[in-house]
Amino acid sequence: MSTKISGPGVRMSSVVKVYPPDVLALDNVDICISPGSIHSIIGENGAGKSTLMKVLYGITQANAGHIEVGGKPVRFASPRQAVRAGIGMVHQELMLIPSYTVWENVVLGAEPVTYLGRVKGEAALARVGEIIERWGLKLDCSAIVGDLSISAQQKVEILKLLYRDVQVLIMDEPTAVLTPQETAELFVRLRALNSDGRTIIFISHRLSEVLDISDEITVMRRGRRVMTTPNRGLSRADLARAMVGRDVVFSAVREGDAALDSSQRPPQPSPPTVPPCLEVRGLSMTVRGRGRPVLDDVSLEVRGGEIVGIAGVEGNGQFELVQAITGAVKPDSGSILMSGQDVTGASVMSRRRLMCSVPQDRKLAGGAGAMSLVDNSIMTHHRLRPSLSSKLTPLLLPRACRDFCARLIAEYSVVASGPDAALSQLSGGNQQKVIVGREFSHDVDLVLLDNPTRGLDVGSSEFIHAQILKKRSEGKGCLLVSADLDELLSLCDRIIVMYEGRVAAEFAGSEADRDSVGRAMLGLGPGPGRGPESEGVTSGR
Amino acid sequence: MRKQHAVSAAAGVAVSLLAGLAILAIQGYPVWQSYAALFSYSLFSQFALVSTLNKASTLVLTGASAAVGFGSNCVNLGQPGQFLLGAMAATALGIFLDLPSWAMLPTVIVAAAVAGAVWSGLAAFMRLRWKMNEFITTLMLNFVADGVTLWLISGPMLDRKAYSPMTAMTNPGAWLGMWNGLSGAVAVAAAALAAVWVIWNRSKFGYECRVMGHNPGFAAAGGCGVARNFTWAMLLSGAIAGLAGGLMVTGGMQHRFVKGIGANYAWDGVMIAIVAGNSMSGTALYALFFAALQTGAMGMELETAVPSEFALVLQAIVVLFVVASRESTRLILAGLAAKLKARRAARMLEAPGEGGGRHGSGD
Repeated sequence: MSTKISGPGVRMSSVVKVYPPDVLALDNVDICISPGSIHSIIGENGAGKSTLMKVLYGITQANAGHIEVGGKPVRFASPRQAVRAGIGMVHQELMLIPSYTVWENVVLGAEPVTYLGRVKGEAALARVGEIIERWGLKLDCSAIVGDLSISAQQKVEILKLLYRDVQVLIMDEPTAVLTPQETAELFVRLRALNSDGRTIIFISHRLSEVLDISDEITVMRRGRRVMTTPNRGLSRADLARAMVGRDVVFSAVREGDAALDSSQRPPQPSPPTVPPCLEVRGLSMTVRGRGRPVLDDVSLEVRGGEIVGIAGVEGNGQFELVQAITGAVKPDSGSILMSGQDVTGASVMSRRRLMCSVPQDRKLAGGAGAMSLVDNSIMTHHRLRPSLSSKLTPLLLPRACRDFCARLIAEYSVVASGPDAALSQLSGGNQQKVIVGREFSHDVDLVLLDNPTRGLDVGSSEFIHAQILKKRSEGKGCLLVSADLDELLSLCDRIIVMYEGRVAAEFAGSEADRDSVGRAMLGLGPGPGRGPESEGVTSGR
Repeated sequence: MRKQHAVSAAAGVAVSLLAGLAILAIQGYPVWQSYAALFSYSLFSQFALVSTLNKASTLVLTGASAAVGFGSNCVNLGQPGQFLLGAMAATALGIFLDLPSWAMLPTVIVAAAVAGAVWSGLAAFMRLRWKMNEFITTLMLNFVADGVTLWLISGPMLDRKAYSPMTAMTNPGAWLGMWNGLSGAVAVAAAALAAVWVIWNRSKFGYECRVMGHNPGFAAAGGCGVARNFTWAMLLSGAIAGLAGGLMVTGGMQHRFVKGIGANYAWDGVMIAIVAGNSMSGTALYALFFAALQTGAMGMELETAVPSEFALVLQAIVVLFVVASRESTRLILAGLAAKLKARRAARMLEAPGEGGGRHGSGD
């Protein structure tokens, strides 16, 4: 160790991890993270980057391999041991108690106590305040965490680690929930921590961010480390090639367009004479226990042949909007029309005659994992598609159902052993193809998509994007809700930004860019005015 | 999936018989003689087989009732009450109605099913109207059914000539025939099971119920009327249990409502549905097996000193083994497979030289 204070390095060698029964998640991974560096680990979903970090942090145990931290061999049975050894992790899903204050969340589990076991509140508060001061985190110690914005909550997570004096910080896709402005702010903070000598491991699949922040970059693919390289003279294309193993990636959408026989985005169709396939008028909704309305006078229109995107930081009403459209909840006021028909009070099944819907959560609403692909693929069709049931009785025709499923498997190139396979036996991408295939087989004018490529690898996402574009070229109207700004920017003809339950801004596809959409997502006005720093301690709620 | 169930079922039966063997041996009973008696009195004579089938006809229905409930995500634990009300409806109509058999039997049997459905429907209503959990209400309604029927048979409907609480005999028009000891109830139960199988596995309603049982959120998002299906599944479940009770009175020998008529049929049915994983064909097979054990145990008690309660021990072992092994065999096997694969992957690296090592580690 040199005299300069510098965090410990991490060396992991020949790490093997198999998830039962036979998913080889880590295949003899060797990785060396230099002390005091910012080291990014990138890779597609399922490449093993998260698993590698879970092994390092003690959440899961490797089947084979060695780990050294600061030159000493370690083996963590739990995150608690990892934290004691100076390693901390900020998870993608933040793990805070919303009803507790900032300082309570920070000291939880490591409270300074008196001999009698009473928490020394004053002392804890002072110590947390000190750390906030020192790192300029701009947090209010006694604010309730549930009232904070996502980016502020993330700061609390980092604060938690600093309070425990962690020297190695693992950030698992921290920017997935942040707007571009918030991301920039996070990077400033990470650099400050790094120049103090702390080692930072940054997990992401956003290449530009990785190129922006890292000293070294490790690329993983299918459970193996493909390369580790210093961040000098690299381009996005270099990284993408290493990640995917071939020369695609940014062309995902253009490829889809090419399939439509035009190298450019097709001209905006929908002459005003085409009646909109979806009209939402003045939709408002309040939820018990939440002060402000979750939907506040939302109006929007989707016409045939266009893809309308809904952008927004998660939790700004997108979820409720989708629920109101599918009929899962009833809005307090306002109306919803599909292809001219008022469906505001209609049942889910009667809406399904006019729309199809790819839900956000595969496990919760997309399918039943333990049931066969046949059973999963005929949902809703079993009532609406006459060929699946006998004409005289309310019985389904097993052979027709099987054929329907087999066609779907072929048409959407689902990799499965056959129609009898259970849905849960398929990979996430193939499960989603079954769901998308089922929904897209409905011949309806409105396609509702709620984060259709979340958690999918590049290949499956590409496929699904191409299917969405195909629907548009067939003249269907698509409403695409997505947390992935790049997805929206590349697919949509119009982007509507939701903020605190309202429509905050609308952009034509051509004039939308990351910066302006990002500002709208934060509830900031257009143009370069106030920076995200001045957003205030508790995100202006 | 299905193969795995069959394996764990066969293994469960084998293990329970082996464990029973050990238990008998430890207690010093004649092992082979006992087992021989167990099977000869349940399967290997006409009388034995007939008794087994008669018993199975009841168990298959209480089992199917529970399977319909659990498989649709309705926790109907009211089979005992629904069974008693079905039996009571059949008895009451059988006593107060006197029609020729062709009109009388269908009326009485349908009335029994309706009575069962009313009882479970009450729970369904309370669930939909006041959000009362059917798990509690069906259980509580069992006590009500128990009390009401006991009051009826020891008061208003008491047979004065009897020494214990029971009703008078029903009119002969309400008697199912017997063929060489085989009750007509077996045929009715088989027909009912076939009908339920078709509804469960082939109809749109059955499909929606099965989806509800696996993932209610998926069913709701797909547009299935969840509340309506819940109601119908509860009614169907109750009707099958009521039918089982009705067949107890119309079939068999007694043709009256006797105190304790429900015995343990309902809870055995719940157990059978759980072991069968709510599948209808599985329910039928386990019902036969449990019926054979129970009838065989009686014979065993006659021939050897082994108490007939031994059947309960065997049943319990089957249930524990099959239910416990359903998940754990999968987990244990998966864990072993993972370990093997990890070892192979780790060794792959050591074997070949530095450069070529990674290429070899594929499949």
